[in-house]
Parts: sequence; structure tokens; C-alpha cells
Amino acid sequence: MNLIVCLKQILDPDIPGRDFKVDPISKEAVRGAANLVTNIFCENALETALQFKEKNGTGKITAICYAPESGEDTLRKALAMRADEGVQVLNDGLAHPDPLMVARTLAAAIRKIGTFDVVMVGRESGDWGVGQTGGLLAEELGVPYVGFVDHIETSGSGVKLKRQTDAGFEIVEASTPLVISITNDEHNVPRVPKTRDVMMSFRQSLTKWTLSDLGVSASESYYEVAELGIPVKESSCELVTGETLEERVSQLAEKILAVKRAL
Amino acid sequence: MSVVICLFAKNGFDRAGQGVAGAGRRLADELGAKLQAIIIGAADAAMIDAVKTVADGVTIAAQSELSDYQSELYLSAAAQICQSLAPKAVLLSNDTYSQEIAARLAHRLGGSAAGDVTSIALHDGNVRARRSVYGGKAEAVIELKRSPAVLWIRARAFDPAPARESVADVNQAALTLGDARTRIVERKSEAITEARLEDAQIIISGGRGLGGPEPFEDLKALAALVGAQVAASRAACDSGWCPPTWQVGQTGKKVAPQLYLAIAIHGASQHLAGMSDSKIVAAINIDKDAPIFKHCKFGIVEDYRKVVPLLKEKLAAAQA
Amino acid sequence: MNQATATREILWNISHTWVMYLLFVISLGIAAYGFYQRLVVWKKGLPLDRFDQPLKRIGKVLTHAAAQQRTVREKYAAVFHTLIYTGFIILTIATTVVALDYDFGFSIMQGAFYLYFQSFIVDVFGALVMVGVLIAAYRRLITKPRKLVYTDEAVWILAAIFAIALTGFLIEGWRIAATNDPWGAWSPFGYLVAKVSAATMSVDAMRLLHLITWWGHAVLVFGFIAVAPYTKMAHVVMAPLNIYTASLKPIGANLKFLDIDKAMETGDKLGINALSSFTWKDLADFDACTECGRCTSVCPANTVGKELSPRDIILDLQGLMHRSAKTVSEMADFNDPIINAVPSTSPEALWQCTTCAACVEACPVFIEQMPKIVDMRRFLVMEEANFPDTMADAVTSMETRGHPFKGTQATRIDWTDGLNVKTINDARDAEVILWVGCGGALIERNQKVSRSIAQLLQKANVNFAILGREEKCTGDPARRIGNEFLFEMLAKENTERLNKYGVKKIITSCPHCFNTFRNEYPQYGGNYEVFHHSEYLARLVNEGKLQPSDKLDKKITFHDPCYLGRHNDVYDAPRQLVQISAKRGLTEVAQSRNNSFCCGGGGGMSFVDEPKDKRVNQERARQLLDTGADIVAVGCPFCTTMLEDGINARKGDRDVKVMDVSELLWQAVQSKETS
Repeated sequence: MNLIVCLKQILDPDIPGRDFKVDPISKEAVRGAANLVTNIFCENALETALQFKEKNGTGKITAICYAPESGEDTLRKALAMRADEGVQVLNDGLAHPDPLMVARTLAAAIRKIGTFDVVMVGRESGDWGVGQTGGLLAEELGVPYVGFVDHIETSGSGVKLKRQTDAGFEIVEASTPLVISITNDEHNVPRVPKTRDVMMSFRQSLTKWTLSDLGVSASESYYEVAELGIPVKESSCELVTGETLEERVSQLAEKILAVKRAL
Repeated sequence: MSVVICLFAKNGFDRAGQGVAGAGRRLADELGAKLQAIIIGAADAAMIDAVKTVADGVTIAAQSELSDYQSELYLSAAAQICQSLAPKAVLLSNDTYSQEIAARLAHRLGGSAAGDVTSIALHDGNVRARRSVYGGKAEAVIELKRSPAVLWIRARAFDPAPARESVADVNQAALTLGDARTRIVERKSEAITEARLEDAQIIISGGRGLGGPEPFEDLKALAALVGAQVAASRAACDSGWCPPTWQVGQTGKKVAPQLYLAIAIHGASQHLAGMSDSKIVAAINIDKDAPIFKHCKFGIVEDYRKVVPLLKEKLAAAQA
Repeated sequence: MNQATATREILWNISHTWVMYLLFVISLGIAAYGFYQRLVVWKKGLPLDRFDQPLKRIGKVLTHAAAQQRTVREKYAAVFHTLIYTGFIILTIATTVVALDYDFGFSIMQGAFYLYFQSFIVDVFGALVMVGVLIAAYRRLITKPRKLVYTDEAVWILAAIFAIALTGFLIEGWRIAATNDPWGAWSPFGYLVAKVSAATMSVDAMRLLHLITWWGHAVLVFGFIAVAPYTKMAHVVMAPLNIYTASLKPIGANLKFLDIDKAMETGDKLGINALSSFTWKDLADFDACTECGRCTSVCPANTVGKELSPRDIILDLQGLMHRSAKTVSEMADFNDPIINAVPSTSPEALWQCTTCAACVEACPVFIEQMPKIVDMRRFLVMEEANFPDTMADAVTSMETRGHPFKGTQATRIDWTDGLNVKTINDARDAEVILWVGCGGALIERNQKVSRSIAQLLQKANVNFAILGREEKCTGDPARRIGNEFLFEMLAKENTERLNKYGVKKIITSCPHCFNTFRNEYPQYGGNYEVFHHSEYLARLVNEGKLQPSDKLDKKITFHDPCYLGRHNDVYDAPRQLVQISAKRGLTEVAQSRNNSFCCGGGGGMSFVDEPKDKRVNQERARQLLDTGADIVAVGCPFCTTMLEDGINARKGDRDVKVMDVSELLWQAVQSKETS
């Protein structure tokens, strides 16, 4: 099976709150000293793909990253994790790609790659958290879409997916080709690549395409960021007091019971 | 012009549905538009009656293929009905099914989508949606440039719509749905007996600091004493200490209980993003500088291992 | 009688002595072949220069092989090993004297020398050998401590030594009795045999028994010599050799330099998973083991009941090495995997090592166990990415954020709030850099320590600066976990930055950073004068720039950080700070200085969740609490958090605090001002 995993490179979401700043003019987070990392759900997706390939013994995993030049790091890491090929779509310095633009670009790249069975994306990104790439991409490609998947296996000519729902999980059978979004689960925690593979990844070549290579141009706007700000939230916490732990816990219990009684 | 709310019969007219209706009503009023409700699936009379009192029109797609959620069919149904209603906005709840179809619905209707919306406004005739971004560190207002604006919203945080005197007409839609292409063959709930986390009034949540799966048993015992639901942070879920459905946070459930008691949860912004709508947050944490305390109404700085057994005693005594 | 004429007839009663010489030559030949075989095996190892600085090396041999300085650290061994060891030396000298006299014609075996040394002293030491053997046997057969390896070989060796000594006394006694030796009483134990024999048997019987026993004694001795290199008795030769070729650097400097780029070119494996990847010295280490078990008995992981056993790693690899070496010429299986090939090298065990180096410090023959564990970890990490998840998180965090504390919301400069601490960019003229370290900057508890240090430096008017946001992990956890690649990246980045700023002097608050700067960065072009904060502060006190006055009236003990003490031999500076800050001085814990017991946080282990009932920090907390101390003084951010956790779990109702030595000093300095 041909698996295509779309990877997004984002500002390190673990950056301490104190270091997090936004630029009100460009309406983006200020990078500062923070690193760019691969979005965690995208890594979950790649891990899911790798496990699927390992289990089936065959298959090809192509990683795509739509980003500026820096996206190369994300693809190198994907290769180090043992994706088979890396395709970088350079965004030509186009800031703020909206979700539809991303989906159209990825769709064009995927069509250029050729045949595919399953396209995997992360359920959402740790920066803008839009959560639409999978659905829009499916529409652009004209294939079905299943969201919040955490496991994939083959079933007949198609695939069998386990996906998380609010109440638990569902097993979905689907024909290929299709697009799925991947969510996290204890089984798809992304692997740490072997150091040898990290070093090898620098010796592999990447395919690089520009938007004009793909025949994509910025079209009508899907949406715009009108405002971006850091919410100020002040609240003071009353720490329970008391001589002994017993007294303090009593107070705590009292406060909890007060809420319960008010329900 | 209309504002459409998209509801699923399976959920009934629950708090989330009411929130969607409330948000839809206020937007419709602001636009001077009608509020049209779509119900997909065979709704029972109680639900239909309730929706009739808040919406200006109700369209039900109740054919047998739609009795259970199948994404391709539900999407197709929603898209077909919406096309006939010419909406300015389509509102859905933030359940997984709604999230799965919202962006595709926008695409099919030639509109734009935005998700996890906490408030909706109009600006120069365009719909603007406020949502939390960067793992809860920032908030953005998104202006949707195409029409309709398809929004999935944090429904429980929106006030319900007041019931109206007039009662809306109910239409049955007869649709040609085509091939499902994907098929849900099995549905499993983690814990059918428990109420949904999103509906819980009190939540007791455990984090990385618990150190393993065993302490969750103590949390369950605590929860039983005050009628609470147990939840967890992403760290605890990723460690396999509890089912992923317990996860509260940016990438888990978004909850809004009356009381959220965070035990051994440090309070990373990703977690706060899932519970910041809670009315009262309280914490038990050994680290007095844990960020969680900045969001608390009350709390105790102490090792949870010492607090929880005592707390259990006190709550049990109060119950007796 | 004139003592000057005292002597005895050599080889009385014995004929065909050429047989003895033949046996002797044969036994030497067999023994030599045994050592040769080992040598051939070691030569399969990679090259390493361990023959530089011969004077230093000879000195080491004198203190540790000849004078047995480490061997006698253990009380039991101090007694029995000294008895057997000195007995062997005396008896060897005595035999040499006989040879010089009889075979080489030096008439020295007479007179007072004959009586005092050759008769009396030799006799007494012969008896002491037997006592030593009995003590050793008692331990091996009756008390059976866990650390020993219980083999038949060990029992046979003891039996053989005992038999050699015993037969020696028998032949001596019978000779004395049968020849009616007038000087017999100078050999008290032989004389005892003579008296008993004279009373119970005829002279002919004694002559016959003497003849038989003499040859028996000879066969035993030569047999012992012949077999020794094939048993753990090889240590008689191996120990001095191994000590001569031991590392002369501090323990903290002993991890191997790994040329990753070269390994990528040549296709060599990164890290070690085959005997062929070890140096000859590593292989010699395997052979040098005396099975004393001290390494395992001091190993913190082993002490709390985990699988890790440095002794077993050495002995198991020795076993693999010789099984591989059966056909010396081929050695094909020298390339076979060693990790998990024996139970002691399971990844689980290898991931329990805190790299505290207690094993290295305990070994009487200077085997370096810990660096070999790191060698194997390197393979696990770099070739297989096989390591505990939480360690992987720390490594990923070091890669992307330059610190190992995943998810921390602190920044590198939070701790400086309100302190007016300058960064190097704003204070290019700073004389010294305070290297805060990730632990000191990002862990809430240790931020207080960083504040104490900075305030003390400010009070002493030291012109210092920090790197602030430009500081990155030195790479110590990465290196100990085995990710040499990441370590190299961080090392290059940090040294480049420090060199760019022209930094000469560095104070570190973390002993791990201290070790890295001192012992590892020179390889990457980073040469600085490095101080642990305890050293620098002690100096400020000695120079009168800091004057503690109001001393704490508390019982204080000190926990030696492994990377300050054992790894770098800094023991006194932190103690001095405790002494001058405390009214009641310092109460030492039983396991202190080079014998200190790890807090459990080294080697990346502070990022691993240990099983509840097997936590190193709780064991160390128990030891420290046993001193009755109110305050446990520390000098390392990892120790602070590990011990605070352990002590909180164990202290019960007691009020026991963990405080960095700088916090103690700051308290003492401050109280002067307020009073």
C-alpha cells in the first residue's frame, strides 16, 4: 500500500507561557528563541503509518511537508523515523496559508506523486489547531474521510480503522483511497529515531516542489485572522490554611461539599 | 437567508444541542434571519417538540440509512438540506461526528469553516468566530470569508435559546444519499454506565504527578462520594494509566463543570485549554508554583498521597 | 650453641631432584601458556595507550597492588587477604632463598638470617596463611555473603592453598624430628609437628612420610602455579598488570571519545554490542576480575533489588570472551552480540545504571565497569533507539529545547527575578560565568539554590554573568544515556558560544555540568577554569569576602554528589561550607566521600520512573535519616530533588530538610546582617 503522511511544522508548543508572544500586526506568534518542531499529531500519524507498514511487511510511506525551507528538518526527521521518501512543498514565503489553500496544495502534490491508498494527517496542529486539513483534503481529492483514527489495518481490499469517539471507539471499514486523520493513543507515541538513521537521513535526497511546480496559486480567501491576542486571566487562589494537615483537608472537603450542595 | 443548526437525533436535544440552538438563535436574530434546524436520524417526539419551540423551521432526515451515524451519508444529507436553505451560517456542536463532517460540509457548500468556537459575532456582514489557539496560550478571532460560515462550537458554554410561543413547521426530507464508501461496523463505549464527561457537574481529574494507574482507583472512590466523573490529563492517558476518553485538554474533551478538581496536574496550557470553562477550579498539588493554582478558586499545596485518603474520610463522614 | 652456625641441610632425604626441576619448568610453561592465551585474546581488542607516564603507573601499582590500599577497605578481606597475600610473599622469598643458596651457591641460608627469617618468620607466616584460608572458607561456606560468586573453583583454590601450607609444615616437622634438628624450635609450628611425630612414630616412618609428602607438596605447588592463570588466581599477575594500565584520569573523564562521523564512514557500529568493539584494556578488565563482588555490593541499583550487577557484567563478558576465544585463531564470534546474550547485559539492567561509579571506585583491581555499561547504552540508543520512554522524552527535549525537562513552563531566567543578575551580553567584562544549568534554572526547587549562589556572589562583589537564554544543557544526561551524537552537538554548540564570549572561568551549580566542562569539553576545544559553586564559595569565605556568623544550630549531614566526589575528587569544599555554616559541625553519614551512595538521579535515571519498592533515592534517604540529621546538605540539583522526594517519603513525623550548601551559607551570611 502507498501511504502518504502529511506533516506540519509548527512553533514548539512546549514553549513556556512567559516566552510566548504574539505579533499583533502580522497576527502570528513570535518565534523568538523557540524551535520549530513537527506537530505531535502528525508524528502520531507517521508512527501509525510506520507500524502499519512494519506489520504488513510491504508498503511505501511518503512524507509531505508544506512549509518554508525550514520544513526540511521535519522531513529529515521523518526519514530518520524511516519514512521512505520526503517531499517538500515550499510555500514561497506565503504567510498564513488558510486551510483550504493548504488542502489544495497538498492535493496537488499528492496527485503529482501519483497513486495512493491512504493519506494520513494529524487531527489538528499544536499552533492554530484548525483541525480541517483532513476533511478539506478528502473533498479536494474526492475521496472519503475518517477522523480521529488511532489504528489502521488491512481488511479485504480496503482498510479497517479504529477511531476514537466521545464515548469510546468505533471500528470503521473503508475502501481505499481515502484520507484519515490520526489522533494520539498509547500505541502510536512517535518513536525516537536511531542515531544512525538520523545521520543517514542527511544523506537522502528530498523532492522539492514549489507552488508553481504544482500549478497552485493563492485563490479566494477562505478565512482571515482578524485578531490574535494573549488572554489575560487573573484569578487568585485561596490556599486552605490550618495548623495540621487534617484541618486543611477538612477545609478542602468543606469547600467541595459547598459546591456539591449548590448544584 | 437563514442560520442552520445541525443536530443528530441520537443525541436528543441535549445540553450541547441547546447551546447550538442558543448560539444559532442569537446569530439569526442579529442577521434578521430564520433559524432552521436540521435533525439527522429518526428523532423521537420529545426532541422534535423541543426543537420546534426554538427554531423557525425543522427539517428531519429520518430515512433508515441515517438511523446511525455514517459520515459520508450524514455529510451528504446535511449538505443537501443546507443547499435548499441557503444559510449564512451552519452551526454544529463540538462532538467528534460534527467535527468530522464540518469542514467537508463547508467545502461542499462553498463556504468556510472554523472550529472549537467560543463566541460568534458579525463584522461588516461577515461571521467572526473567536477560538483558542496555540494550545490555549492565545485567542484568535477568525473572519470567515466565504459563505456559509460552518462553525462547530463549544456548545455547552453557550446559553440555550429561550422557548418561543410559535411552533415551527416540521419537514421530512427525502434524499438520495449515494454510496457510503466507509462503514462503521462496530461501536464501543469505554463506560456506558458513566455519564458523559462533558455533561458532568463535578470532575475529579488526575495527572502525570499521580505516577501510575493505581491512584486512579482512589480518584474513582473520591468521585463516587461526591457524584463526580473522573478525568485525566494527556500525560496520564498517554502513559496508559486510564482510557483516552478520559482525556481533558486541547486535544481531549472540552469540559465545563461546576467544579473541576485537579489532582497532581501541573496545569500545562494544553490541559487548561480543555477545562478553562469550568466554573470553579480547585487543585491538590505538591508544587505551590504549579500553573494550575493560577486558575484555581481554592486549593491545597501538599502531596496528593497524603490529602486524598484524608479527603476521602471527610467526604464519607459528611455523606453519613 | 652458636647461632652463627645455624642452618639446615637442603633436600635432605630427597633424591632425583631433577624431576622437581622438570616439574617446575613444565608448570611455568603451562602457566605462561595460560597468560599467553589471554594476551592473544586481549590483542583482539582495539588499541589504547595505557603505558604513558610510567612513574605514575608504578606508583599506582605500589599503593594498590603492593600495598593493597583498596583491598583492605573491606574489613573481612583486610584480614584474610592480607594474611594469605603476605604469607605468599614471605613463602616465595623463602623459596627463593633456598634456590639462591642451593642452586646458585649463595650461602645465605644460615646464621641469624636462617633462624629469624627463614625459620621463625616463615613458619609463622605459613601458619597465618592457613588462618587466612580458614577465615576465607568460613565466609565462603558459612556466612555466604550475597556479593560472592559461589564456584567449586574458589573452594578448590582455598583447599589447595591450605594443603600447600599444611604439607609444608608436615615435611618440616618430620625433617626436624628425624634429623633431630638442634634449631628446630625456631620453627614453632614445624616443631610442634616434630614433637607430636617423635612421640608417635619411628624415624623410618617419618623418613618415608617425609619423602611422599615432599613430592606431594611439590606437585601441589607446581600444579597450583600451572593452573593459576586458568582460574581467578590469575589475579596474582592480572591485578598488578591491570593496575599498571589503569586510567590515570579522574573517573569522570573516562567515557570513551566516539568519532561518530568516522563510524558512519566506516560502517562501524555506534556504541558496543560485540567483544570486538572493546579496547584491549576492556578485555583485560574482564580477565582481571577476582570475583570479590564489591562492585555489585556497592551498586545502588543492585542494593535496592534491581537486576543490574556490574560484577556479573564483567564475569559474564569474561565467559563470553573465553568461549569465543576457544579457537584463538578464528575468533569469529567476537562479533556476536553481547547485549542480552547473558542475563547481566539485558537492556533492563543496563538502563538501571546511575553512572555513579561506585563500582569503579570499589574495584581493588581497577576494573572500569561503568564506562562499559555506557558503551552498551550507546549501542542501544544510537543503533536501536531502545531506551525507556521517559528517557526518550528527556532526550527529545534536549534536542529541541536544549534542556531535558519536558513540559517545564519555566524559562532560563525566571529565577533571576528581582536579583539584577546580568547576562553576558550586558556584561561582557564579567570575570566569571555562573553556569546555572537546566536543573538550577528550570526546576522550581533549585531556582532557590541558584538565587542563593547569585546573591552570595553579589555579596562578595564577584563580577559574574550568566548566559541566560543562550545557555543549553551541557549534554551530560545525553552522554550518560548513550546519545553521543546529541552530546557532541550540544558540546560543540556550548563551547563555540563560550569561546565566542571569551569565557575563561566558569562556576557551575551542577556537578554534572562541572564534570562535563572539566573532563569532556577540552576535547571539543573548550578549555576553562571550572569551579563547582562549593569550591568557589569556599574560596570566597577563605579570602574573607563572605563572613558567615550566625551559625545554624542543627544537626547537618552532607550527601556527596557522585559527579563532584567520586568522579572529580572534590570532597572538602562542600564540607567546609557546612562546617562554617553550622554550630554543631558536620555529622558524616556512613556512606560518604568516595564511598557515597548515589541519590538515584545520575545517568539519566532521574527521568525514569523506578518501581515503587526499588527506589535508589529512598535507600539513600534511609541512610541519611539514620544519621539523625535535621538537614541534609547537598551540592547538586539532581540530588536535591531526588533526596527531597526520598526523604519526604521516609521521614515520617521528623522535620528534615534538604538544603544546598549555598543555601546554608546564604542563611548564615544573611543572619549576620539581620542580627
